[in-house]
Amino acid sequence: MQSATRKKQATKVIVSSVTSKNQKHETLNFNGELYMKVDRRSFLGLGLGAVAGVAVSPVGLKLTDDSSIWTQNWPWTPVPVDGRVNYEKSVCSLCPGSCGISVRKIDNRPVKIEGLSDYPVNDGGACLHGIAGLQYLYDPARVKTPLKKNGDKFEKISWNDAIALIAEKLKGIRTEGTPEKLACITDKDQGSVSGLFRRLLETFGSSEFYTMPSLESYLELTASTFHGKGNTIAFDLENANFVLSFGAGIIEGWGSPVACFKANASRKERHAKLYQIEPRLSNTAANADKWIPVNPGTEADLALGLCAVILKNNLFDGSATINFMGGFNKFNAMLKRDYSLSKTAKITGIKASEIEKTAKMFAKAKKPVAVFGKGRGDGAQSLKELAAVHMLNCLVGNINKKGGVFVKPVSQYLNFPSQSMDRVADAGFGKNKTGSTVNQLFEKIDKSAQPLIEALFVYNANPGYNLHDSKRVKKTLDKIPFKVSFSSLLDETAMLCDIILPNHTFMERIEDVPSGAGFAKTVVGLSKPIIKPLLNTKHPGDSVILIAKALGGNVAKSFEWANYDQCLESVTSNIWSPLSKRGFVVISKGVPAYRPLVNVSFLAQNPATINAKGDYALTLIPIDNMRLINTGTASSPFAVKTVSDTVIKGKDIVVEINPLTAIGLKDKGFATLTTPLGKARVKININEGMMPGVIGMVRGLGHTFDNKYVSNIGVNINDLIGQVIEPGSGLDAAFGIKAKLVAA
Amino acid sequence: MSELENKAKNDSTISAGEKIAQKIKDDKGLGQGVILFIIAFVVCFAGSTLLFPKLLYSKKEQPFNFDHYLHVYEAGDCEACHYLREDGSFSGIPKLETCMECHVEEPLGVTDDEVVFVKEYLAKDKEIPWHVYAKQPDCVFFSHAGHIDTGARMDFNECHGPIEETKTSRTYEENRITGYSRDIWGKNIFGIKKNSWDRMKMDDCAKCHKEETGHQGYCFQCHK
Amino acid sequence: MTQDNHNNAYKFGMVIDLDKCTGCGSCMVSCMSENNVPFKEDESNKRDSITWMRVYKLTNGKSFPDTEIAYLPRPCQHCGGEGDHGHSPCVSVCPATATDYGYDTGIVSQIYTRCFGCRYCMGACPYHARYFNWWDPKWPEGMEKYLSPDVSPRMRGIVEKCSFCYHRYQAARDKAYYHGDKDHIKEEDYQTACTTACPSNAITFGDLNNPAHKVHQIVKPDPHPDPRNHHVVGKSRNPKVFRLLERLGTNPKVYYLSEREWVRKQGDHYLEGEWDKIKNHHGTTSHG
Repeated sequence: MQSATRKKQATKVIVSSVTSKNQKHETLNFNGELYMKVDRRSFLGLGLGAVAGVAVSPVGLKLTDDSSIWTQNWPWTPVPVDGRVNYEKSVCSLCPGSCGISVRKIDNRPVKIEGLSDYPVNDGGACLHGIAGLQYLYDPARVKTPLKKNGDKFEKISWNDAIALIAEKLKGIRTEGTPEKLACITDKDQGSVSGLFRRLLETFGSSEFYTMPSLESYLELTASTFHGKGNTIAFDLENANFVLSFGAGIIEGWGSPVACFKANASRKERHAKLYQIEPRLSNTAANADKWIPVNPGTEADLALGLCAVILKNNLFDGSATINFMGGFNKFNAMLKRDYSLSKTAKITGIKASEIEKTAKMFAKAKKPVAVFGKGRGDGAQSLKELAAVHMLNCLVGNINKKGGVFVKPVSQYLNFPSQSMDRVADAGFGKNKTGSTVNQLFEKIDKSAQPLIEALFVYNANPGYNLHDSKRVKKTLDKIPFKVSFSSLLDETAMLCDIILPNHTFMERIEDVPSGAGFAKTVVGLSKPIIKPLLNTKHPGDSVILIAKALGGNVAKSFEWANYDQCLESVTSNIWSPLSKRGFVVISKGVPAYRPLVNVSFLAQNPATINAKGDYALTLIPIDNMRLINTGTASSPFAVKTVSDTVIKGKDIVVEINPLTAIGLKDKGFATLTTPLGKARVKININEGMMPGVIGMVRGLGHTFDNKYVSNIGVNINDLIGQVIEPGSGLDAAFGIKAKLVAA
Repeated sequence: MSELENKAKNDSTISAGEKIAQKIKDDKGLGQGVILFIIAFVVCFAGSTLLFPKLLYSKKEQPFNFDHYLHVYEAGDCEACHYLREDGSFSGIPKLETCMECHVEEPLGVTDDEVVFVKEYLAKDKEIPWHVYAKQPDCVFFSHAGHIDTGARMDFNECHGPIEETKTSRTYEENRITGYSRDIWGKNIFGIKKNSWDRMKMDDCAKCHKEETGHQGYCFQCHK
Repeated sequence: MTQDNHNNAYKFGMVIDLDKCTGCGSCMVSCMSENNVPFKEDESNKRDSITWMRVYKLTNGKSFPDTEIAYLPRPCQHCGGEGDHGHSPCVSVCPATATDYGYDTGIVSQIYTRCFGCRYCMGACPYHARYFNWWDPKWPEGMEKYLSPDVSPRMRGIVEKCSFCYHRYQAARDKAYYHGDKDHIKEEDYQTACTTACPSNAITFGDLNNPAHKVHQIVKPDPHPDPRNHHVVGKSRNPKVFRLLERLGTNPKVYYLSEREWVRKQGDHYLEGEWDKIKNHHGTTSHG
C-alpha cells in the first residue's frame, strides 16, 4: 500500500515539471514570486496530503462497493412488494370452459392464477390464457371510464350522463312504437348477466336477442334438430373408448379446453383410441392414434358415407333405430343413392378401404363417440355437417350411454321473477326475429334499405372482428344509428359504438359461470372479485339494471333489484347457499336417464353441401391454435409470446402450405394471398402436415386496437373469408374460401 | 531533486547566486511541505471520513416514534408482532391489522406519537410507511424460519441488536447511491464491526454459515 | 454440506411424457407468470425471446400424410456435469460465480445481481436454456403490480434461466422448518410451476434420489456410470426414457418419455446405423 502511494507521488512530480517546461517566461517570473510565499514543495505537500488523506479514508472503497451495487440494482427495475401469501378461489370466464382457478395473492395484490384442484371441470389444470389472466386485468387497452363518441373521437362521460343518454335514445324508439328495433348481441345465452340483457330486451318489447356463433349454440341447434327444442348435447370424452373427431380440436381449445386435455391425456391409460379427421395435421391429429386427412368441407359427406357403411353392413344398433322418426327409410335410400363407398371416397379424398375400415371400427367399438365442431367449434359450421356426424352417434346407439353422447335439457338453474310487460312490449316482442342467427341479422340489415335496427347493445362480443367478411360487418354496424358497447377493452366493435360502458373484468366481479360447450357435467361456478375494481368501470349487470331503471315504466318494474349482487342472490336462490359457500354447484352429472326421440328429417331431405366461394385453385381454411384466442378478445402478451415463429414473424402472419402447393414459393418467403374478398401479404411456411392444395391461416390475429403487444400483427382471416349462409339453418357455413398464392 | 534542476534550467533569467539563495529558502520549504502534507492529509482524511457519510446517506425520520421497550412490555414478547406464519414465512413489520388487535379507536396511552398513529393511520385505514433498518435488497432470500427457534436457534439480537430495549426510533439513513439502509454496511463507515449485528453484507452471512455449517452455502440458498 | 452429489442430498429432476404433451403452452405461460419473465413488443425472434421453459416442435421428417409431430418442452436441464460431479457446462465457465451447482439439491443457480453478462454460459449450454436480457424489462403502466416478490425481476445485460422454481423449494423448506421437519420436503410441497400447470399431467417432478417419488419410479435412474461412457451417470433403466444429448455426459436432470422411437431418436444426433446399435442399451441391470 505504501509503495503504491509513493509511486503515485513520483508520477505527480514528473507531471508537474513537464507542465512548467511548457510555460512562458512571464508567467514563470510571476510564479517564481509566488513560490517565494507558498513554494512549490509546500503546494505539492498540500496537494499530496489531500490526495493521500482521501485515499486512506473509506471514500474510495465505499464508493466502489456502492457503485457496483448500483449497477446490480438499477433504480428503475421494479421491486415487487412482499407480504402474506393467500389464495382465493374463483372461476375463469375467459372462454366457455369455465375452469376453477386459484389466485395467489400477496396481501391484496393478485400475482398468479393457477388451476383449482378438485374443481369438477378442470381439477387443477389450467390453460395458458387463464394463467395469463392478470394481463387482462392490467391490459393497457382497457376502457378506463365511460366513453361517448363525438365525431371520430371518444370523450369521457360520467356514468349518470351515459345511462341518461342511452335511456333517452331508447325511450325515443319506444315512443315511435318500434321497440323491436332494439337488438342485443352477447357471447352466450346462459348465466344471469345474459339473462338480464334478454330481460331488458323483452320487457322493452324486442325479441332481437342474438348470440355469437359458439360451440354451445351449435350443440343446442343440433340437439333441437334431432331431439326437440330446449335440449343440448354433451360428449362423455373421459369415458369413451373410440373417439371419432371430425376436426374437433380436442386439444386446441375445443369445448371446455382443460377438461378435454385431461380426457385426452387419460386416453393412454384407458386404452382408448382417437381418430382425427381434418385436412391439416393439427396438434389433435398429431396426438391422435390416426390422422385421416379429408378434403376441406367434405366432413359431412364422409360422415354420411360412414353411416352408409354402417347401415349397409347392419352394424347399427337396432334397438336405437326403432325410436327414429322423420323418414329413416328416406334417409337410408338417400345414402344408398348418394353415398356409396366409391362416391364418398371421391368426394372426401379418402381411400374407400379406409372409410370402410373406420366405419366398422367405430360401429364395433364398445363406447364409440363421434364429435363435431371443427377447430374450436365456434367458427363457421354447417348444420348438415353437425347433423351428419351426430347421426353416427344415433346409429350406434350411444345416446345417453356412458362414454357416448349425453342429450339433456339446457340447464335452467336461474329463477327470474315474472317480468312486467305492457302493451308496447307485448306487441314488439310478438314480432318475428329479423334473422335466426347473428349472421343472418347482419345480412338482412346490410341488404335492407330501411333501418331494421335502430339501437344495438353489444356485450362480450366482437362481431366487427369475429364474423366472416368483417369489413362488411363493420359497414353494416355503421348503418345502425345507435350502438352501445359493454366491453372491458376497446375492441374493434367497441370502437364503432356511440357509447362504451366499460365492464369490470372477470377478476373484479361476481358472476355465476355455468359450464357448457359439450362438457358432460353441468357445473355452475361462482366468479368472485379478487381485487377491487381498478378503473371507473361497472359490473355489466349493474349497467343493465341502471338502464332499466332509467327507462321507467314496466321495464323498471321488471328490474326491482337494488344492484346486481342482490339480483344474483335472488335469481340463483335455489343454489345460492352452496354456490356462495363452496364456489360451485354440480347441477347434473352422470348419464341422463331418459331416451330421447331421434328425428332424422333434416338429413332425410338431403340438404346441400356448402362449397367454398370463388374460382381460385387453392382453398384457404382457418387454423385454431391453442396459444391464440380467436374470439373477440385479443390474446395476452404472454400467449402471443409463446406462439411459434412459423405462425407469427415480426408483424407478419405465416401461412402453412404443403411443398406440393409451394410452386414458385419459398419457405419463409413472402407471398400475396388473394381471395374473392381481398388480398393480404403473408409469409410462407412449407409444412408436410398440410394437405396439398390447402392454405392454412391462423385465427385470432390482425386486431386493430391500441395494444402494441398483441395488435396489428398479421391479418384477420375473417377479412378474407366471406360468409355463406346455409339454407334451412341460417348458419354461416363458410368453412373456407378459394384462394391463390403468388410470391411477393 | 529533478524538480529543482528543471526549474534551474528554465529560470535562465535568474542568476546563479540568486538560485542558491532560493535553494536555501526552499530547504525551509521542504519542512513546510511535510507539515502541509500532514495537515492536508489529516484534514482531508478526517474531513472525508466525517463528511462523506453525511453526503452519502440521506436521513429519513420514521413516520412517528415507536417505543419497542413499551410494546415488548405490553405485548409480552417479540412474537406478538413479529412471528412466523403457518406456511413458514415471516410476518416482518406488522400491518395495521396487527396493531388493531390492541389499538382499537382511541389512544391507549398518552404520547403524541400514538395520537399521530391513531389520527393519521388508524382512522384513515392507511398502512404506516415504516423505514426498515434491516431491509435487504430484492435479490436476497432470507429464511427467518431457518435461523430462529425453528431452525438454527439463533437469538434475534444476533442480527437485530438489542432493539427490544429502544424507546425511540432512530433516524433511518438511506444510501443515496444504492438505496440500501445504512445498517447493511454498518454504522461505521470503514465497515468495522464490533457487534454481530453491526453489518449485514453477504460476507457476514457466508462467514457465519461457514463457521456453523462448514460450508458458506450455495448461491440459491440466500438468493432469489 | 459436502461436495457430494449422491449421499444425503436431494437430486431434483423431472420427467416429461412427450406422448401426453400437446404443445398447448400452459407450462410456458405458467413459468413466465411465476418467475416475472418480461415480454416485449416483438417476441417472434426466438433467439432474444426469454422463455425459461420453451416448447420445441419435432417432426418425423416424413412427407404428407405420413408426417408426425411431437412437442418437447425444454426447461434448464440442470446438468450434473461429467460423472455427475456438479461441473455443469455453464457453471464451469462462469468467471463471476454467478451460477453454481447446489450439491444439496442438484439445482443450477443463476444470480442476476452477480452476473455481468459475458454470456460464456450461453455459449457453453448445449440446450439453449439460457437467455440474455438485451433490454431492460418494461411492463405496461400498472402491470408491474402483478409481479411476484418470490423471484427478483432482472435487469438488462444479464443472463437468466429456469431455476426449477427454486423459490418454491425455499418456501417448502420454510414450511418444513415451521413444522419441525426440515430435512424432509414432501413431494407435493415442492413442485415447479410448469408441473402444476400442465393440463395433461405430462410433467412429473420430484427427487430422483427418492425411490418413493414418482419421478424416480418412472425414470429408474441407474446410479452407476454407463459402462460404455463413464461420464454418463443416472441413465434411465426405462427403455422409453431418454435425455437430450446424453452422450455428452452433461447428465441432465430432465428426462423425457416417449413410446415413439422416432421421438426418442431425436434426443441426440446419430451417424447412419448408429441408432440401431445403441437404442436398446438402457443402463446397467444391477441395482445400486
